[in-house]
Amino acid sequence: MKAAVAAAAPVTYPQLKWICACVALALAAHVAALPLWLLLTVCAIAALRLGLAARGRAAPARFVRLGIAALSIVLLFLQLHTFNGLAAGSALLCLMAGLKLLETQSHRDVYVITLIIYFLCLAALLRGESFWLLSYLIGVSWFTTATLLRLSSATPLPEWQRSVRYAGRILAQALPLALVFWLFFPRFAGPLWQLPEDNRSAVSGLGDSMSPGDITELALSDDIAFRVHFTAATPPPRDRYWRGPVLHEFDGHTWRRTDSRETQAPALLPVGGEYQYRLSLEPHQHNWIFALDWPTRWDLPDGVLTGDYMLVQPGPVSRTLDVVATSYSRVEATLPLSAAMRRRDTALPPDRNPRTLKLALELRSAHPDDMDYVRAVLDLFRQQQFFYTLNPPPLAGNSVDAFLFDTKRGFCGHFASAFAALSRAAGIPTRVVTGYQGGTYNRFANYWIVRQSDAHAWDEIWIEGHGWLRIDPTAAIAPERIERGSSGAAASDDLLANSWRQRIPWFADMRLRLDALGQLWRDRILKFNQDSQEKLLLLMRIPEPDGQKLVVVLAIGLGAALAWLTWQVRRELKPPTKDPLIRAYDRLCRKLAAIGLPRSAHEGAEDYAARIAAARPDLAAAVTALCRRYTQIRYGAGSPDAAELAFISGVRAFRPRRLGVSAKP
Amino acid sequence: MTIHRRRIYILPTRFGIMLAALLTAMLIGGLNYNSNLGLAFAFLMVSVALVAMHHCHRNLLGLGVDVNPEVDAFAGQDAAFVFMLRNGSPMDRCDIEIRCTDDAAAIKSVSANSYDQVTVNIPVTRRGVIRWNQFELCTRYPFGWFRAWTYVQASIAAFVAPYPRGDRPLPSAAALAGSAAQSEARGDEDFAGLRSYTPGVPLKHMAWKVLARGAEAAVRSYTGLAAQPEWLEWSALEGLSVEARLSQLCRWVVDSEAGYWRPYGLKIPGVAIAPGRGAVHRARCLRALATYLEEDPPQ
Repeated sequence: MKAAVAAAAPVTYPQLKWICACVALALAAHVAALPLWLLLTVCAIAALRLGLAARGRAAPARFVRLGIAALSIVLLFLQLHTFNGLAAGSALLCLMAGLKLLETQSHRDVYVITLIIYFLCLAALLRGESFWLLSYLIGVSWFTTATLLRLSSATPLPEWQRSVRYAGRILAQALPLALVFWLFFPRFAGPLWQLPEDNRSAVSGLGDSMSPGDITELALSDDIAFRVHFTAATPPPRDRYWRGPVLHEFDGHTWRRTDSRETQAPALLPVGGEYQYRLSLEPHQHNWIFALDWPTRWDLPDGVLTGDYMLVQPGPVSRTLDVVATSYSRVEATLPLSAAMRRRDTALPPDRNPRTLKLALELRSAHPDDMDYVRAVLDLFRQQQFFYTLNPPPLAGNSVDAFLFDTKRGFCGHFASAFAALSRAAGIPTRVVTGYQGGTYNRFANYWIVRQSDAHAWDEIWIEGHGWLRIDPTAAIAPERIERGSSGAAASDDLLANSWRQRIPWFADMRLRLDALGQLWRDRILKFNQDSQEKLLLLMRIPEPDGQKLVVVLAIGLGAALAWLTWQVRRELKPPTKDPLIRAYDRLCRKLAAIGLPRSAHEGAEDYAARIAAARPDLAAAVTALCRRYTQIRYGAGSPDAAELAFISGVRAFRPRRLGVSAKP
Repeated sequence: MTIHRRRIYILPTRFGIMLAALLTAMLIGGLNYNSNLGLAFAFLMVSVALVAMHHCHRNLLGLGVDVNPEVDAFAGQDAAFVFMLRNGSPMDRCDIEIRCTDDAAAIKSVSANSYDQVTVNIPVTRRGVIRWNQFELCTRYPFGWFRAWTYVQASIAAFVAPYPRGDRPLPSAAALAGSAAQSEARGDEDFAGLRSYTPGVPLKHMAWKVLARGAEAAVRSYTGLAAQPEWLEWSALEGLSVEARLSQLCRWVVDSEAGYWRPYGLKIPGVAIAPGRGAVHRARCLRALATYLEEDPPQ
């Protein structure tokens, strides 16, 4: 009866405070994804409920609670338009945690709240993937479990620390079992049922157009675009061009991409520089994949190469994507450029950038050969006072004219744009390629990190008889940009002065180490799947692993873990281990009990020995000696280590026999 | 006796079933989203529940329990059984519940290497000997997700005396009223001198002044009715029903024990208890009333 009463017993103010703390900790994992008004509502509800409890009053009346619940749920639905999917589901769950807090009256409600908290932890883990998040949420569930322990117990428990310690011990004992479950529980290849795709974070990185200044913004971002591991040779810096959107259309200010997915990529003749690599692309919400230069093979089932050699997939990259690919850095075209493509890649708006057109005509009359012309343009960049800077002045209207003749200060985008305009004006098919160049080597785990700050733009020109050729005008003006990366090129620039982190070696090292650990976490934990399980079984020397064998291993592992758990739990019941001397004496008594002479509880060692000596004269000498030694060690003075060892080995050697069984005692 | 592991049963409570449903949902969620972290968390919580089950079972394992097998009570009140819980292990055992009947239970925590008493009050309504052959020992600690329980086979009995009621005066008072000339104001306080102290004498009969003088402890003694034993007899209550008679006799026993220092004896059909005083004597009389015409004589 009393236990039932305990479940219905009212929750007191201090208890309610702890529950609110648990809810707050669980909500903290969702803060970034929740609408602000929802957070405020939950806070207000908690404050209201706590305020009432502090005055010793019960929860608000039923109609008030129902009103608040209905209103907030309707508001949430109006905002999200659905309760299906992870984001909407967890927002609803957060709201429900708050509403449950409002009506929390008895311990029964506390149970419901703890269940909601556990589920909130899970929901956060379905969205986030970091090690820290997992650790934090295990901490939250630990704290919640300790709170539940306190609130569910019928008799008052001692201080908080002990409840926390006890809950911690239960968690620790659960770890081996959880590990067995996690390693061997069969994974499925795909989801059990399709769920609505979540609208993930905002678009970041390169877009499908480029205006002067676009890439400059990216150059300040430390976000990681992708990571690359080269399985064999690593290309030199001048070959590390990661191909992103290829832009064709120019309106005098902005370069845009015309969709060329319908055109098949013309076959290429690889000439040299073969590189194999594994690319881990961070989600960027576009459908292109930053492959190295001229990709020829990739392991994406639905990845295709466009007519301008961009690797694309049908849907946007909304989760981390892994691609194993092969690329060449030197190729030759096998087919001539089609008339349509030539027309597209030589088009310029006739009424824009007149000064540039005039300059191009002058240069072209002096250099009729295409390569000569290109060299002349690059010389122009080199000889005149052009500067490579992360902080270029803004350009408006005829941006190429303004850059070439007025400001003469620009970033890679400005140079690529100006070169392409000059080149097209001379009738050379030219396109602008945006992507990344360079990267940071992580020497702790042998892979390259390419950040948004490595974003770059360059040009490709068509040379008859050769094919597309990469021209990087930035390399002409700031070769160190290519060799050492954007921060190396602009180290003296004001804007990068705030990235002090990169100048402190140990800090940079620590970041690299953390990143390497993050990759390890991703490869080993986040991407653990059917294949990993099969590899694991092979490691355990189980031939031809399959699902059935996995289940058998799971069952055996669980059996072992549960046996360990039972042993562990029962072991705590026994009094702590006695010291070896007493254990040895107990053993002596057990041996004597086995031959029918048990020691009585009241008997001391000497008395016992005397009784044995009387009953079994044949054992008298041995038993008396052993018991005397025991008494001396236990109650005598001096350091007894050697004597103790002698006693223990003496007991071990002592083998009394039952009378009548043995002829010779 | 000590609780053996084979005798402990365990099942999830209502909250445990709710938790199981939640854990299933968590597992499905983790599998569906192919989220290894979600699965890790779900498996951890499943394991926590399994560990909690083991801890709940262990909470009873090896616990020692003893009980006084016989208690006295009055009908309409509670029979208070005192249980002794012995915890010989180096860990606390929290929330041990002893349940004798559906509505009689008590809950207690016993700290490590110690023992504690728990009193279970069982309401008894009718006069007689009431026996229980077993009681239940259960616990929901920790978390209340599981309930482990065991039945302890022990014969416990409550000797339920009739509720003391009735308005007949004590036989001696009735006799007094009959021979009013003799008593008057002096009543039974005929002081007859001092005699030496014997244990068990009421304090108000002690001769404190004698003791204060430094002499040996002495007791004032009385003559007359005060020294006469009081016989509480079945036959003195003609005209009442059996239970009413027993209730009246019970009242007399209680009153006589609480009253002056005067021995009293009980005579009911089949039983005669020689005059005496004190808690043991009173209990003997009450048990005689409790077991009157019961099949089970007091042991």
